[in-house]
Amino acid sequence: MADERPATDCREASRLLSLASERSLTQPESTALRYHLDRCLMCRNFDSQLKFLHEASERLRSGK
Amino acid sequence: MTDPRYAEIETHRPYLLRYAVSQLRDAQLAEEAVQEALVSALESVATFGGKSTLRTWLTSILRFKVIDLQRRAVAERRTFDGGDAAAVAGDDSWLDEAFDETGHWRAPPRAWSDPESALEQRRFWEALERCLDALPPAAGRVFFKREVLGEDTDAICRSEGITPANCWVILHRARVALRACLGRHWFGEVGDGR
Repeated sequence: MADERPATDCREASRLLSLASERSLTQPESTALRYHLDRCLMCRNFDSQLKFLHEASERLRSGK
Repeated sequence: MTDPRYAEIETHRPYLLRYAVSQLRDAQLAEEAVQEALVSALESVATFGGKSTLRTWLTSILRFKVIDLQRRAVAERRTFDGGDAAAVAGDDSWLDEAFDETGHWRAPPRAWSDPESALEQRRFWEALERCLDALPPAAGRVFFKREVLGEDTDAICRSEGITPANCWVILHRARVALRACLGRHWFGEVGDGR
């Protein structure tokens, strides 16, 4: 079999990155996401910016 | 009126209002709750011992006012509008604004330089408030409850009258939009990016 990978685009990758904060991703979801992230700097930026948003939100709650 | 904390308390008003709106889904009622909470806080500021942050202390006072107003509203059979979460979840036109027909970012996320230092700047928090205000109200509430208050999805679904799947769609939308808004207005990303 040739190297047939799920075609996960940025739109789908961003959905999975957001979803990962809400529930565990399934094996196919997480495989597809990892494959995409390995090749996409923009989505890796998005990933770290989600973490930043999370941190900023926690600081917003405490007001520190 | 000489306690310097009076002025400091007032700086938390926008946050408190956002908290109240997220719980009450009614701007006027939220305003009322915040007003009552601030009056109580000013009366009892001497008892604030600084064990928690001032914001946490204020929020705990506000929480009681909110519960009180919710009870009163139920007793008076007042209905809230704000069944808008399902509509927001069902409207996926934002996806075409954020992604092109091949599923690529229209404005690709660039690396942000030194985001940590943004957290130390007052103007960053003002920018974040503006970005939160720019979201559809239901998206702002769901994001606030999930990320800021740390509520779990089930609790959010119950209060907003939506399914978990709806909730996830709304959070995806809110996160993409907030990222883009902060990118543009704080971290110097350029408009379309291409």
